[in-house]
Amino acid sequence: MQPSKLLKPELYSAGSSDGDGATARLKGGRCRCGYVFFPMQTYGCERCGSHGDALTPYELSTNGTLLAEATVHLHADKNRPAPFTIVKVALDDGPVIRTLLADDSARVAPGQRVTGRLVPTTQSESGETVLDLRFSAAS
Amino acid sequence: MTRSLNDLRPVYVVGIGWHRYQNPSETPYVALGLTAIRAALADARIEWPAVESTYVATALLGMASGRPMLRHLGATGAPLMHVENASASGSTAFRHACIEVASGISDVALAIGVDKRNPVRRAETGIGHLAEDAIVPFTHFALLTNEYAVRHNATAEDIALVAVKNHRNGAKNPNAQRQQERTLDEVLGGKRVSGSLTSLQCTPIGEGAAAVIVASEDGIRRLGIDAGRAIRTTASVGRSERVYAPGAGFDAALTKETADLALAQAKVTPGDIDIIELHDAFTVEELHYIESIGLCPEGHGVRMLKDGALDIGGQCAINPSGGLIAMGHPIGPTGIGQIGEIVMQLRGEAGARQHQGARTGLAHMVGVGAVCYVHILQN
Ligand SMILES: [Zn+2]
Repeated sequence: MQPSKLLKPELYSAGSSDGDGATARLKGGRCRCGYVFFPMQTYGCERCGSHGDALTPYELSTNGTLLAEATVHLHADKNRPAPFTIVKVALDDGPVIRTLLADDSARVAPGQRVTGRLVPTTQSESGETVLDLRFSAAS
Repeated sequence: MTRSLNDLRPVYVVGIGWHRYQNPSETPYVALGLTAIRAALADARIEWPAVESTYVATALLGMASGRPMLRHLGATGAPLMHVENASASGSTAFRHACIEVASGISDVALAIGVDKRNPVRRAETGIGHLAEDAIVPFTHFALLTNEYAVRHNATAEDIALVAVKNHRNGAKNPNAQRQQERTLDEVLGGKRVSGSLTSLQCTPIGEGAAAVIVASEDGIRRLGIDAGRAIRTTASVGRSERVYAPGAGFDAALTKETADLALAQAKVTPGDIDIIELHDAFTVEELHYIESIGLCPEGHGVRMLKDGALDIGGQCAINPSGGLIAMGHPIGPTGIGQIGEIVMQLRGEAGARQHQGARTGLAHMVGVGAVCYVHILQN
């Protein structure tokens, strides 16, 4: 297998690999007050304002339920050629996140179960495959 | 104990003016702003030296754009400050001009919004994101459109009717950027932008200027201003986003809590409101916000739209100016232009767009961040 690296290792880590890519865990955080957020940060809790040691890393599953989807037809940034589809997902672990739908995902609709995977996107300059998080319909 | 604007001495809008909202042009912002200010001074029938304080609302002009514009009115030495609050910059400037007069610090203050279409630059927070660079405002609202359509069984055609109404209103507004009536087929058949949103369902960011002058009763008397054309601001509320239940739309929740406070401050109910100017940058927003303000239960907005209840002459005219979709959204001016439209309507001077018998108007703005501002004006 060719070497690979994660595009945003500060946001997610790789789990086991299979033919569809690797499973992923999200690097979230949890406050002493119980509030769970993504991504991890130590600036302070949006709910109660606690900071520093009150905030600890808390791994989140990428399993969730789709709240909304939108296929973008026009996008000015040449680094993101349209069309692509954005999904809004309520994670089972609490936070709501928005990111890209995998190109090979089946069509999705609100209410549907979805899951995130790390899939090959581009090649780095040193020839490694760069993996990034994409969601798709849960199988 | 703290007090709201309506507990302080009364404050009135006495002058309104615009430079037409338009597609980006070579016209310098100084010319846009001076046109609006001189129109507002002429409307109030006062001279520039009577203005004791100026709030300049602009999001995209960069640092210290006010004085190079205001000096051409004759440099009086009066204080000026700049207000940047995203889409709500103009609403925020208006609120603080009202507060300055209501508090007794000044008798006459100006809120002027002016902008050109320049690139939006936002500072890095130091916190990473998955793909926020791929989610521009129209995609944020395309996601909300999808959620609204599924939750309330509304079709793309139903939601696009908001644009048909607002283009119809804008066609009668000489200050609107888009002044052309559009059929439902034209709206739906336009360029697809994101999700089910087409270009005629999205605000055209452009340029322009809007100005309002506010005054106290002392100022009105001292300057001989026509009190019969003065419209009182009976509520002013500003709020910012809190943490809502997971999955709850913050845009609607923030609007609801801000509008509730404003209605209580003015001591009116949603049924008392004759006209509303609200932040319809994208069609679905109008439905969300009329429901949040309390005109109808959640999910009933399409019914009101189809019944004509939201038309000029209907139960409550929504965006009689054409709103952000047709009148336009040059950012800094937008919230001030809303106040101008409401004042024109409450004076009975709105001509072809007049909503007969309008007594109470509400102006609503949201800005990314997110912030929300609601003002109520009454005659
Ligand atoms: Zn907390």
